[in-house]
Amino acid sequence: MSYYLATQQNITQWIKGMASENPVFFPEKYGHSSYRFAPVGADSEIQFEQYKPTVLPPVKLLIPAREELLSFRKKADGTTTVESSLDTSFRILAGVRPCDLKGIFLVDLFLKEGVPDPYYLARRANTAIIGWGCTTPCDSQAFCAAVGSLGHTEGADVFITPLKDGDLLVEVLTERGKQLAAGADWKPYEDGAARKVGAVADLPEPFGRTFPVPVEDIFNQVSRRWDSPVWDKHVERCFSCGTCNLVCPTCYCFDVSDDINLDVESGTRTRTWDGCMLPHFAVVGGGHNFRPEPAARQRHRVKRKFEYLPEKFREGAVCVGCGRCGRQCTAHIDIYDIVSDLIGEGGR
Amino acid sequence: MTPVASQYDQLVRETFIPQIGKIVAMDDMTAKDRYLKVELEKPLGHRPGQFVMASIFGLGEAPISISNGPTGDNVLEMVIRKIGRLTQAIHELKVGDRLGIRGPYGSGFTMNDFYGKDVLFVAGGLGLVPLRSLITPVVAESGRFGKIRLISGCRNPSEELYRDQLKAWTEAGVSVTRLVDATENMPWEFGTGLVTEPIPKMELDAEKTIAALCGPPVMYKFVIKALSARNVKDDQIFVDLERRMKCGVGKCGHCQMNEIYCCQDGPVFRFSDLSGIPEALQ
Repeated sequence: MSYYLATQQNITQWIKGMASENPVFFPEKYGHSSYRFAPVGADSEIQFEQYKPTVLPPVKLLIPAREELLSFRKKADGTTTVESSLDTSFRILAGVRPCDLKGIFLVDLFLKEGVPDPYYLARRANTAIIGWGCTTPCDSQAFCAAVGSLGHTEGADVFITPLKDGDLLVEVLTERGKQLAAGADWKPYEDGAARKVGAVADLPEPFGRTFPVPVEDIFNQVSRRWDSPVWDKHVERCFSCGTCNLVCPTCYCFDVSDDINLDVESGTRTRTWDGCMLPHFAVVGGGHNFRPEPAARQRHRVKRKFEYLPEKFREGAVCVGCGRCGRQCTAHIDIYDIVSDLIGEGGR
Repeated sequence: MTPVASQYDQLVRETFIPQIGKIVAMDDMTAKDRYLKVELEKPLGHRPGQFVMASIFGLGEAPISISNGPTGDNVLEMVIRKIGRLTQAIHELKVGDRLGIRGPYGSGFTMNDFYGKDVLFVAGGLGLVPLRSLITPVVAESGRFGKIRLISGCRNPSEELYRDQLKAWTEAGVSVTRLVDATENMPWEFGTGLVTEPIPKMELDAEKTIAALCGPPVMYKFVIKALSARNVKDDQIFVDLERRMKCGVGKCGHCQMNEIYCCQDGPVFRFSDLSGIPEALQ
């Protein structure tokens, strides 16, 4: 690992230089107050100010909304040829905040485990990540510190920490990071580690919303609640639209379907985003639904983030505290409020 | 940067590209259930209770139970109920047509759990289809088991599956109880009632019994209650659950119940392993 000191201008030039050779995605403002990861062009503005998290987390660039798994062609003799569809193009995700880095780190683990998911892993292996530290909470919805994702850097090839004087501390973390950094106009910086500790110590306290108990205790509280009035309290307003699933950095469930082309001979098998909050998610052939009630679906979603997957993978909360689900929910249902209520109920 | 590809391409071939099976025999068992015998390119190598992902290119893929015992050859037997677009299309296929098959998937039954025991099979409706993959090897080695019993129930006489097979098992010494919920004025020479009803009356050595259950979601709770009343413990009961898997490899999320993925950890479970999973059975 090596440290460098860079100015905003250095970083802007570096990112635009990389973007002239490979697709680089960086958060850009669109509409009135929203942000999205978009390809960097010669005229793009590199955002150094703190901003609200992008509507969709960057992990969705690794899990497209619609992804071809295979293509097929029926031949005249009745047989079918089948080809795999694998995206091995190279891309760089830059400006990835710690919450989103934790999200990608977790999805890496989930999709590597057991039978590995080749489509995701191929895309991930061909993706470089430039992480970007947060010095202030992005808005009043975030609770990244409370779930332990604020300081997350694992999974990044290069990690940039903004310093108080406006300069940036650059950490090169991997071999690929070293390749990306080749030719960058930065000053090697021996005191980098100490300076980073200093920058972290300067973060506001508390950083965003907090829970009254440490994250390990949240797991205990959540895992004890199967029957709880909390499951009905918030879901009363739920439209079962699945937006919370779609914007979540650790949701990756999918549906698989076939499409046939107009030649009626060839077509594709694709997977598309699906969500456990959608009413049909646990329906089986014949129509039985194992989670017909919105409350059962919400319980599944919350427990997946705070009980099931944390128990299985032991990497802390699977909710990264980005606040996206609460921010985007039409009915203002916020996983932070649900978990707070479960904790409060447990304390009684 | 150099793209990394080959290892993932290999993984796609192993995981998502189906092998092609050719239909070599079929039989309409009921108005909506068709038996299919499929010859595969390579041996299936399955255990009883496992499933495959069957597909028609252009229409899609669905999880389907394997109905034949593990013989080690290239044969796959299934019974497919006409229930949606894909299964409707499978019903329109002819002998010689082809199907995509991935798998086998899931944990399945382990024969060692059954050797030396009195085996009780309880099948409701289509549940007989996957259970047949276990009944077949049990009957084939019947000397290694105690009493072998099957309670098979369905709605009415026209819905009964595997009639010749039930007869053959009876002739092979299996105590087979054939039931319908109601005869609905159709000819029927066997019993009427629910699959739970014979349990309180049957001669049963609770210590020595092991049960395997498969049927509609509503069936499990009542059969388990009846077995518990006869002192058959939860760890002596195996259930074969149904979920709509989309991937078969523990990724798509559809079959998840608590921390368990039905496609990987199941669909066959020892019932005692499901305590604390309220969504497992209903």
